[in-house]
Amino acid sequence: MDNTVKVGLIVPSSNTTVETEMPRILNRSTSQNFSFHSSRMRMKSVSKEQLRAMNAQRERCVIELGDAGVDVMLYACLVAIMSTGAGAHRAAEFGIAEQLATGGSGAKVLSSAGALVETLHAMGAKTIALVTPYLRPLAEEVVAYIEHEGIRVADWRALEVADNAEVGRIPGNRVMAAARSLDLDGVDVLVISACVQMPSLDLVQPAEDEFGIPVISAATAGAFAILRSIGAPVDIDGAGSLLRTDAAVPAS
Amino acid sequence: MTARLFVLKTPENQGVVDVAEGDPSISVVPVGPYFSISAPSTIVIDRRATGCRHAVWYSAVAGLDQSVITQHDKDALRVEAR
Amino acid sequence: MSEQELEVVKPEHRVHGVDHAAFPTFNPAATVRFYRDILKFPVVHSICAAGWGPEDHPDFIHFFFDIGNDDRIAFFYYFGLEPFGDQSAPGDAWARLTPDTPLFFKNSRHLAIHVNDEEDLLEYRKRLDASEWPVEMQVTHETIESIYTHDPNGYMVEITRSLRPVTPEEDFDAVLTIDALVDVFEAGEPTLDALLTRKAELIVARAEQWESAQLPIRDSELIP
Repeated sequence: MDNTVKVGLIVPSSNTTVETEMPRILNRSTSQNFSFHSSRMRMKSVSKEQLRAMNAQRERCVIELGDAGVDVMLYACLVAIMSTGAGAHRAAEFGIAEQLATGGSGAKVLSSAGALVETLHAMGAKTIALVTPYLRPLAEEVVAYIEHEGIRVADWRALEVADNAEVGRIPGNRVMAAARSLDLDGVDVLVISACVQMPSLDLVQPAEDEFGIPVISAATAGAFAILRSIGAPVDIDGAGSLLRTDAAVPAS
Repeated sequence: MTARLFVLKTPENQGVVDVAEGDPSISVVPVGPYFSISAPSTIVIDRRATGCRHAVWYSAVAGLDQSVITQHDKDALRVEAR
Repeated sequence: MSEQELEVVKPEHRVHGVDHAAFPTFNPAATVRFYRDILKFPVVHSICAAGWGPEDHPDFIHFFFDIGNDDRIAFFYYFGLEPFGDQSAPGDAWARLTPDTPLFFKNSRHLAIHVNDEEDLLEYRKRLDASEWPVEMQVTHETIESIYTHDPNGYMVEITRSLRPVTPEEDFDAVLTIDALVDVFEAGEPTLDALLTRKAELIVARAEQWESAQLPIRDSELIP
């Protein structure tokens, strides 16, 4: 019996990062094989109008990935959900789950927005700092969304990139520079990228080493949620302590 | 032998009870939320005298004690001792 | 407040009405006309899906109309699916019965939707009478008044109002009737005559219970 876990990704059409980073993370798992299947929603510019238009395509994407018989489905656009109002990930996840269940699919449903919030809760994070690629008004909505979930955002940066393709090309040193400018005093967890399109996987471990606090990204939180949802051990190296949650403690 | 039927105490059934009470051969006594309507051997109630609508008329009988319905139509209800 | 008052005891009967009742349709356009445009029931939800379970299953849409009180009637439309059975036989979109099936039996399964008063009942009568699906009958039962029609799928739909509230006497009577029904059915002699005979025994046996139940304040009397 093939034990490959099929992961469905619902991504904005201009997103290239989530399909790069998610396989890079999960393929390091030694307990499970993963395959990745995506369906795209048209979106080029990260504006409220385009995000709303994109959400309307969700139903089609769910059907496409349902046809592929995926085991778990991740709605991989954080800001699309967080900009639609407080707690919106619950309604989005419920809508997808209802659609799947109506068609007799048992696929697990996640969203990158819900995964980030749930992961922060699982880590016991009370105060965080974060870096986003968004224009300031959208970034403010993301901050308000997270704070509404009971997590204080002590400091944050918005890199103010509107074009989503360009978000996928933001250099790592720019993200790190923004992170270094944050006041991390009293911060439990640093979210180095609150966006699954802004590349950050190679920054998570170095940032954790440099700042001395747990560092996550929307992608590592998504991977954590995927592993938890299928009941697989969370034991992946080189992407921050979050993904080593279930690792055997090495003998000292 | 006595013929006896029960009718539930409802506003709609009152016509049946009134007609029974007006008949000297019929005895009407309350039993719980019902009226016991009895007579020696046979009870006959004229539907038109009761003023009941059809739906009420055909659902008025709640119980039959040692008795049997021998007529229940647009004209009359007849209950006889078994 | 005493400890007893603080203790929350959930009632035995905990359900809250119809979430939704769902039916198949082979004519979604007429179904939408009937429920949304004629009866003016708002469309409140829809789900597009495909069959991902083990069974061979067409793509479909599941859509919902509000029937008041947060309750809903829902339909499934399966793309490319043809109706089953002999379409000239009595039945509806869900099933066709054998040709000799009497109409009373076919119509026995129906949905009744509540309205508050005569004005509202007549309003729905007016809407239906002006449509392709006029009221087929208007009936005054013992304590209710109803209008009936069949929707575009052949489902019987009733709209009904109460002429007066149900009394405690009627509730008591219903309990006795059902006890008598179960008794005569299980005795292998299910006739109306047997039921009324059994019920007479129960009336006499439980008259005292009724009298004593009248002394404490009844729940139904607490409701204004």
